Amino acid sequence: MSRTHRISVIGSTALALTLVATACGSSGPGMSEDALQVWALEEAAVNDVLQASMDSYNEGAEIDSELVTFVNDAYKQRLQVALGSPNAPDVFFNWGGGNLSEYVDQGQVFNMTTALDENPEFRDSFLPSVLDVARIEDGYYGVPMLGMQPVVLFTNNAVLEESGLEAPQTYDELLEAVEVLKEDEVTPIVLPGAQGWTQLMWLSYLVERIGGPDVFQAVVDGEEGAWEHPAMIEAMEKCQELVDAGAFGPNFASIDYDGGGASAMLANGDAAMFLMGSWDLSQQQENHPDFASGGDLGYVPFPVVEGGEGEEGAVVGNPSNYFSINDDSLNPDAAVDFLVETVTSDEYVTGLIDAGQVPAVEGIEDQLADSDYADFAVFTHGMVSEAPSFTQSWDQAIPPAAAEALLTNLQLLFLGETTPEDFAKDMESFL
Amino acid sequence: MAPNVKDRPVLRRRRRSGGRPSYWSGLGAAFWLVIVAIPLYFLVATSLRGSGDYMSEGPLAIPDNLTFDNYLNVFEVGFLRFLGNSLIVALGAVGLVLLVAVPAAFGIVRSRSRVVATTFSLFLLGLAVPAQAVIIPVYLLITRMNLYDTLIAVILPTAAFSLPISILVLTSSLRDVPGSLYEAMALDGATNRQVFLRLVLPLSRPGVMTVAIFVGLNAWNNFIFPLVLTQSESTRVLPLGLWAFQTQYGTDVPGLMAAVVLSSLPILALYLFGRRQLLGGLAAGFGK
Amino acid sequence: MRSTYTTERPGFVWVAPALLFFGLFGLGPVLIVLYLSLTDWSGLGAPEWVGLDNWVRLGEDEQVRSSLGITLFLTLLCWATQTPMALAFGSWAAGTQKSRAVVSSIFFLPLLLSTAAIALLWKAILEPHYGLPGQIGPLFGFNGNVLGDSTLALYAIAFIVLWQFLPFHMLLYQAAARQVPRSLYEAAELDGASPFQRFLRITVPQLRHTIIASSVLMIVGSMTYFETVLLLTNGGPGNATRILPLYMYTQGFVSFEMGYASAIAVVLVVLGTGLSLLVVRVTGYSRMTSQREGI
Repeated sequence: MSRTHRISVIGSTALALTLVATACGSSGPGMSEDALQVWALEEAAVNDVLQASMDSYNEGAEIDSELVTFVNDAYKQRLQVALGSPNAPDVFFNWGGGNLSEYVDQGQVFNMTTALDENPEFRDSFLPSVLDVARIEDGYYGVPMLGMQPVVLFTNNAVLEESGLEAPQTYDELLEAVEVLKEDEVTPIVLPGAQGWTQLMWLSYLVERIGGPDVFQAVVDGEEGAWEHPAMIEAMEKCQELVDAGAFGPNFASIDYDGGGASAMLANGDAAMFLMGSWDLSQQQENHPDFASGGDLGYVPFPVVEGGEGEEGAVVGNPSNYFSINDDSLNPDAAVDFLVETVTSDEYVTGLIDAGQVPAVEGIEDQLADSDYADFAVFTHGMVSEAPSFTQSWDQAIPPAAAEALLTNLQLLFLGETTPEDFAKDMESFL
Repeated sequence: MAPNVKDRPVLRRRRRSGGRPSYWSGLGAAFWLVIVAIPLYFLVATSLRGSGDYMSEGPLAIPDNLTFDNYLNVFEVGFLRFLGNSLIVALGAVGLVLLVAVPAAFGIVRSRSRVVATTFSLFLLGLAVPAQAVIIPVYLLITRMNLYDTLIAVILPTAAFSLPISILVLTSSLRDVPGSLYEAMALDGATNRQVFLRLVLPLSRPGVMTVAIFVGLNAWNNFIFPLVLTQSESTRVLPLGLWAFQTQYGTDVPGLMAAVVLSSLPILALYLFGRRQLLGGLAAGFGK
Repeated sequence: MRSTYTTERPGFVWVAPALLFFGLFGLGPVLIVLYLSLTDWSGLGAPEWVGLDNWVRLGEDEQVRSSLGITLFLTLLCWATQTPMALAFGSWAAGTQKSRAVVSSIFFLPLLLSTAAIALLWKAILEPHYGLPGQIGPLFGFNGNVLGDSTLALYAIAFIVLWQFLPFHMLLYQAAARQVPRSLYEAAELDGASPFQRFLRITVPQLRHTIIASSVLMIVGSMTYFETVLLLTNGGPGNATRILPLYMYTQGFVSFEMGYASAIAVVLVVLGTGLSLLVVRVTGYSRMTSQREGI
């Protein structure tokens, strides 16, 4: 074999490889007429519950349902590619709110309003504030299918008592408590400021209390000037006011939620208050069981701001995750039937409660009262069921590039390295 | 060599008399020893603490109750799978690199072709291309090849970016082979392939060893390629596993430290039993 | 084709597989990234041609400028701390005393830990309340705010990089220092040169090849600081440690603006490759290596 010949062999093999590589389309699961494809996130405990309910459903159903699970990171991408292609699911998991509205805008989601009206019992079994997160404009495009994770103000009641305080109900009381606690050399509020999403909780609750849910809704809707709304600016100023008052201590920017230091500070009595998602309770149970069940761990809704427009009891956090139906599904009726029969079934709801979740379903107080974290579960369920609105975590509700900029700006705001006006101006560029 | 022997006593005497610089360098070394030792002590001590004790005992206290529970827990969260994945990636990358780099080094050292010389310059240029800077096109290639979230996706670019240095090390070790050996084989009528198999392969063994360790360690420690090119638990390698361990089981610092200790044990074993080769492989001929 | 009186020489076919492979995953991406920098691509579907849009944006992006500054500062800081220390410890460790061998084998221990392991270890150590700053800080009236302080965070990262990479460069200098002919030192000693003078006049000039090699490695290696920063501060607090490779990563894989991230990547390639080539050119390192190879 001559040298030139060998080279050309190598060359053509390489060319062929590249062609194969680029020509291969994605293959995988897809729609069919005789099965319902259900996509969800991979999460062991919850997947088992869902699978069990699907098995029960399949026993009586004409069209079987099939569960396909994905890991978090790639899921949004996979879904975006799949929707509108023949590989799409019939029923898919999503985050509701801004995330869902992207798919709705592209005409890829089945409008469930009529279906819900035809099944009023099913519709009314959800907590309204949570179901509303799946309402895009005037239609319902999804139903809650997992537990709720509202953000609450955790307290160490022993520390508060020692300073002669009670959990603050208003923003002014909060400021007063900060002064007292500082004098007693306790960090008034622990804030894991190394991660911007913990600061987001403060901003979004303050905006909600000062201006109501429409202020952020304007951001989601992309209305110009939404970030420069007076309530938005005032909330940012209040964040800086808290920092300047020393509410978060001198080194909050070094504290990291994942590192566990923040939860430990509350448990060890180094801090008096901690604004965090309801999931922190299970962290406390696991790592500081004496504190979690010893009666010192308290939890209250976020304080109200006097004179604010937000309705009392409105909630911020992760409302739930949602199941929506693909508009191109070959069996939309079967998909509706599947949702009606499973996500509010006793089997599914009980399974979720046993897995430590608080489902967004009415009338489960008794069941919750028997669960592992009974008091807290009843509290969060009650808080959400009475809430006039449930604002989704902002970083989930807006596009990723805007969310990234938001978190960075929040860090700068709390460090005093940017002003509310500059913050708002920077965010305006993402609308 | 000879004068050394004669002068040695002089040297010793001088050292003893003018001891000041030894103080300084000794002091500097002692200082750095503390800087190196404290974090390592923290690492091991924390990994042996109960998770509750960590917050109450203080970071440098000698653990009150030694426990190996943290280590057991690490095994329960998939450590063995991550270890296996890391091994596959490291061995795969080493195998792939050696497969193409040894023949290439032979070609470069022995060929008189201009094309081959140009190829060598290309590889030398490649030394200066930072792998981190091209993760986006690598991501594009891997997804287009439908290799996303597989271990092969990690092995391919890891091996490719190890090639320039590997070829450099191998060529410089092959250049030490005297030309007369090649000529002797040529006189016997040996073909290139025979020369490669009977002469080059055996003689390049030290270089191969160095390259294998260098590439293997790089692959073992690599973070960016697995971060960008894989996502599921089944393809997670150790460095990513450590990170995931932190975010998933966040509050458990002792558990995380136990995972860090365990993840370094294979390399520690190498260090203990093959220190010279390991350090040589790390330096990969740079310090020659 | 070749005349038969010379030995058969291996041809291009021996280097072809390596070249193809490196071309596809090494050099190819450099060209692809240039193309991607002219497109809008979210990571899904096909990149869309947008001409110079990303480059215009890059020119106007203040964050790029500030990230570039931080990157250069960090690279310089790391170089300026690592080089003298590695040189000093490396030539110290080249001595044959048993105590030096024992101590330097401890110095090498950080080499056994991966970047991820080291970053996570230091993150735990630097926890403001339950780590070292919380324990030692109050003694000095320090509030423990290290990674959350806009200035300190960058120095902390430089220190951790030093902790991690010093042994590697020390190893290079140790190996090289052992090759310096003893007779040089002995002659200087007879001239009455102090050990420090001997270090300056003999060790440093003799190790100049190694100094250059190690410096080039530090410059190209400064890209890997990305991992340390990602795990320790993720660019924070605010943007204080947002080095350019991290900014590229965030733009590409968090914001999914892969086209814009590619433009940043091109800057990084030019910067990394350009700086290394500059060092090599200015110092005449390529001439020296070719001389060495000639030996």
